[in-house]
Amino acid sequence: MAIKGGKTWLVYGGLGLGGLAAGFPFAWMLLASFMTRGESLRRVFLPESLQWGNYLKAWQEADFGLYFENSLIIAVIQVSGTLLFSLLAAYPLARMEFRGRDTVFAGVLATLMIPETVTIVPNFLTITWLHRNMPFAWLNNWPAMTIPFMASAFSIFLLRQFMRGIPNELWDSARIDGAGHVRFLFQILLPLCRAPLLTVGMFTYIGSWNALAWPLLVTNTPDWRPISVGLQQFVSEAGAEVHLQMAGAVIATVPVLLAYFLIQREFTEGISMSGLKG
Amino acid sequence: MDTRRTEQLTAWAFLTPALVVLVGFGLFPIGYAFYVSLHKWRIKKEALIGFEHYVRALGDPQHLVFLLLGVGIVWAAYRLRSHLLERGLPSAYVYLAWGILLLPGLWVLFELGLNGLAATGDPALYNGFKVTFFYAIGTIPLQLSLATGLAYLLFKSMRAKGTFRILFFLPYVTPVIASAVVFRTIFSPHPSSLANRFWSTFGFENQRWLYESKSVVALFLQGVGMETWPTWVDSCFPSMALTSIILYNIWVYVGYDTVILLAGLSAIPRHYYEAAEMDGANGWQVFRHITLPLVSPTLFFLSMVAVIGTFKAFNHIYIMRTPGARESVDVLSVAIFDQIFEFHNAGYASAMAFVLFVAILVLTLLQNQVLGKRVFYGD
Repeated sequence: MAIKGGKTWLVYGGLGLGGLAAGFPFAWMLLASFMTRGESLRRVFLPESLQWGNYLKAWQEADFGLYFENSLIIAVIQVSGTLLFSLLAAYPLARMEFRGRDTVFAGVLATLMIPETVTIVPNFLTITWLHRNMPFAWLNNWPAMTIPFMASAFSIFLLRQFMRGIPNELWDSARIDGAGHVRFLFQILLPLCRAPLLTVGMFTYIGSWNALAWPLLVTNTPDWRPISVGLQQFVSEAGAEVHLQMAGAVIATVPVLLAYFLIQREFTEGISMSGLKG
Repeated sequence: MDTRRTEQLTAWAFLTPALVVLVGFGLFPIGYAFYVSLHKWRIKKEALIGFEHYVRALGDPQHLVFLLLGVGIVWAAYRLRSHLLERGLPSAYVYLAWGILLLPGLWVLFELGLNGLAATGDPALYNGFKVTFFYAIGTIPLQLSLATGLAYLLFKSMRAKGTFRILFFLPYVTPVIASAVVFRTIFSPHPSSLANRFWSTFGFENQRWLYESKSVVALFLQGVGMETWPTWVDSCFPSMALTSIILYNIWVYVGYDTVILLAGLSAIPRHYYEAAEMDGANGWQVFRHITLPLVSPTLFFLSMVAVIGTFKAFNHIYIMRTPGARESVDVLSVAIFDQIFEFHNAGYASAMAFVLFVAILVLTLLQNQVLGKRVFYGD
């Protein structure tokens, strides 16, 4: 909808203000990460010269190398698992006729209401039991960090919504060509679901990057602890070293923002779908 | 015949991996949490103690009965009012009858029920509920109005739409731990912290922000020169520390809400606007009578997500809470995590968590009933 000339400045003024508020903490984080200790304590706005050494120091002091690697491995396992499981689950919910479909879908959505606070203790007990009774280790290992999060109601919901919008003719013609459900899903639907898959992947990635309470519970050595735990411990130990804290925060942020910039088009498109009924 | 069977089996085979995870780590834990909560349970299961943990958490059961009774009376009053109004009785009498029933109901609910429970139950639980309530009231309305405004502006803007959308969305995708650490330094009590610098440009005194457990209203009274104030001024308003966390929360979620609302706005058929323009509606009228009702489902969805999110909030509060102001920012989920991590009391933590779960359930149903009716889903 076109707007009348006089109001343009109002629109862009408002947007600019919002953008400033959104971007300002990032600017401060970046600038402070390049300051000397004195500069960061005096809270000057611009560092005299860029202290690249802060990053090296934070990296070494916080043992970010290890945490970084852990987080990346956890993210890869968790994202691939979630994508596969959600894709498989969304397909019958969107496009197949079977008894109990609506009940299953309602049950899946109901899990959205359950907070981690309720599940954390019983899940820890379950994992401990699995740890004892399974041939491989769960605690202090990747299964405890990833498997409980490999299916999420939100992912299944988003993919189902998208799949329902795909015309039936595709399935009919695939059927004539002799394709079954598995081939149809992986050869024809999969490439079409690019945007929702990237969205689900991004959400899972962010979620795995944010996990804090659960990793603290199921690990007691740094071997499998993710970057969120590393950063939290570094910050509580670093005390007044604001410049190093900010360098640490930048380090923990970069991998997520990088992924976001790469796929932001599909991501916004996918997110936008989640609020619409259908 | 056979193909139908195969079809059913295929469907369930596809669903199985996700369902195993969702049931095993999502639904089953609810029952398990309840089971754990009925036991004395530290590292291992000990004695079965029934509802003892619930009494310790919630308080004297007789007050719980009063609470439920109060809810019942209030609900009956509400039903009676709509019932009588439907039968066409004069509204003055209806409201009189309504009031006669409602006031004692509220008294039973709050005085005999809630107050009694809070006096005999676990202060950490009720404080957690109170802080969660402040947190929800402080974030959701402001966050949604800001987002609606921004989405409307984005919708109207012709250029740079994509750039702004990316920018607004950045706080949401940034790892919570990192941004919470950044806000911790912004809201530090240091005289030269960014929050204090901004604050002092208006000529105000420096604040202790995340370290301040006094309520914002008490601080305001202090600012205008009062020296003493009744205790309820401190207990009935959010603390400065919680307000700082609320600001952080708004910063994180406004962008997400904006992007979703923008999608809602873009889905409104153009001809509604054209019709309004033909009828000579002004900008505000268009917004109030066309835009707002048509995005109300989206707003409703976002408010549901936000309410549940308030109850789930943990990471950023865990990072931003300070020794001086812990109690005033500890929402229920943080209080529960303390039971797990500090006191290693799995049994009691599960009881508290179960109470939280029931609260979310009731609230979601209530929200669905009250707000859901006002949502316009079109024709």
